[in-house]
Amino acid sequence: MTARPGRRILVSGMGGDLGSRVAAHLEREAWVGEMLGIDTDPPRRRLKRAEFHLASPYDHDRILALVERFNPHVIVHLSVWEPFSRANPKTARALTSEAASSTLGAAAECPALESIVVRSGIEVYGRAHGAPTRPDESAAIAPTCDFGRSLAEIEVTARDIGLRIGVPVAAVRLGSVLGPHVPSPLGRLLRQPFVPFSLLADPPFAVVEDVEGARAFVSAAERRLDEPVNVLAEGAITALQAIRRGGRIPVPLVGPDWRLAKLVSGVAGAPIPDHVLETLHRGRLADNGRMGELVGFTPALTTVEVIDKLYAWPSVIRQPATRQVA
Amino acid sequence: MGDVIELPRRGLSTPVATLQSITQAASSRFLASWSIDEWGRDDSFVRVAEQLTSVRWKTVTGGLELLPVHRPAVVVVNTRRFRLTQWWVAVTLSAAIGRPVRFVGRPDTAPLGALARRLGGLLARPDEIVGALRHGELLVVGLSATLDSRQVGTCDPALLGPAVERRVPVFPAAVLASDSSRTARIEVAPALTTRRRRRGPLGEVELAGLAETEIAAMLEAFGGAHTGTPLDWLPWPSGGS
Repeated sequence: MTARPGRRILVSGMGGDLGSRVAAHLEREAWVGEMLGIDTDPPRRRLKRAEFHLASPYDHDRILALVERFNPHVIVHLSVWEPFSRANPKTARALTSEAASSTLGAAAECPALESIVVRSGIEVYGRAHGAPTRPDESAAIAPTCDFGRSLAEIEVTARDIGLRIGVPVAAVRLGSVLGPHVPSPLGRLLRQPFVPFSLLADPPFAVVEDVEGARAFVSAAERRLDEPVNVLAEGAITALQAIRRGGRIPVPLVGPDWRLAKLVSGVAGAPIPDHVLETLHRGRLADNGRMGELVGFTPALTTVEVIDKLYAWPSVIRQPATRQVA
Repeated sequence: MGDVIELPRRGLSTPVATLQSITQAASSRFLASWSIDEWGRDDSFVRVAEQLTSVRWKTVTGGLELLPVHRPAVVVVNTRRFRLTQWWVAVTLSAAIGRPVRFVGRPDTAPLGALARRLGGLLARPDEIVGALRHGELLVVGLSATLDSRQVGTCDPALLGPAVERRVPVFPAAVLASDSSRTARIEVAPALTTRRRRRGPLGEVELAGLAETEIAAMLEAFGGAHTGTPLDWLPWPSGGS
């Protein structure tokens, strides 16, 4: 099913890198009419048509007023804070939960609403012992990390609202999102000069480039998708392989020394949240075989190519001032 | 038009940069072609494992022309306890037919689970098998392990269910490896066919039973194992293999 022209789109989380990218994509779509964005930070790229409002996820009344007045046809909910990306895990969890209840709750009050698309992740499948290696969309949701639980909560909230008001709900389950402007804790860790990896396991994981993640949201919104879809690049890579490709110095760790590594990495500016730690210990893969059918495209880049791009992004080069002025 | 700004290149000015450079040089020398697939199988590692197993066993294979070249299939083999038979069969078949062969029944604890994953191991879960068959993979499924190589264990019908549902051919294969010599044999038989197609789970139960019967008959047809010693004349059933 494709969208009719003139649809009003609400993008929550438009200020983030993914949100700005999705908004920029949506602006180019012929079927998109008006667009409203809400976030705690302003958008990171130039948008021509979108109307943007700064609003805290805790400000339920303001969000409700904005959303009710706009009366969207489609809501793309991207207000998700990954732990240690822009906020510490506790704050990230609280912000994500508040944003989900206020935005999705407000959207449920809108009579014109036709479709809900929410940002989720393959962390919802969990990596318990005996859990499937490459779960597909039909696998049970059994998160084993904080971030996975937050995402699962969003999916449940959206699905309940969808059932109650009778609109399709799509959950776009992304692999670890990497991009030049994405504040990804995994990307940050891999770009450190010394990178820890699990000597005994060194399991494979898959990632997705921010561009393709954004494209999946636009496509899910246009098609009024009514089911979850795994969106990640083809192939897989292990931490040691990534370290090798980036020319970093591998630090093999076995067990208790991970505590020290977490501490040191945090002090060095790349704190390791529990979902990244789980990725390094247990791996994180998912079956993206239905991407073509559900969102109409397959990823152009492989996981290895995304990791190569991660290392190709220029670092910040600090040059001392030529003249001291203060 | 913007100007291109040349940023200063940093040389090997710090110990970290020097160490990074050495690590990069070493890894590009020794790990240049290292890659894993979307299931975590490491082709280079599988090749090394195949060379190591060929030191221990000189394996004779038969019936490999029956296996599909690209399409999904399941090979059911008899296994012996503590022998990692599925691992060995998957590695050997992979080298013999030139396509990745995965085995079902890897542990999920490091380091053995990680090692098995590099060799193409999958967890013994029907959903894992469904995913692999959907992607056209060739899988090796083991019967329950026995102590005697001439005895056949039981086949878990749940592991054959995905193959039955997707109409993927199931090939029985008899495996015999000598304890005392380098002789080993893997014989693949034509795909199993049940008398009638079932709509329910009886299909996999019948197929599992058929696989057990077929493998037992093939092992019987192999004849006694030969150790090359007077042990061969002793009347025990396994004949020392």
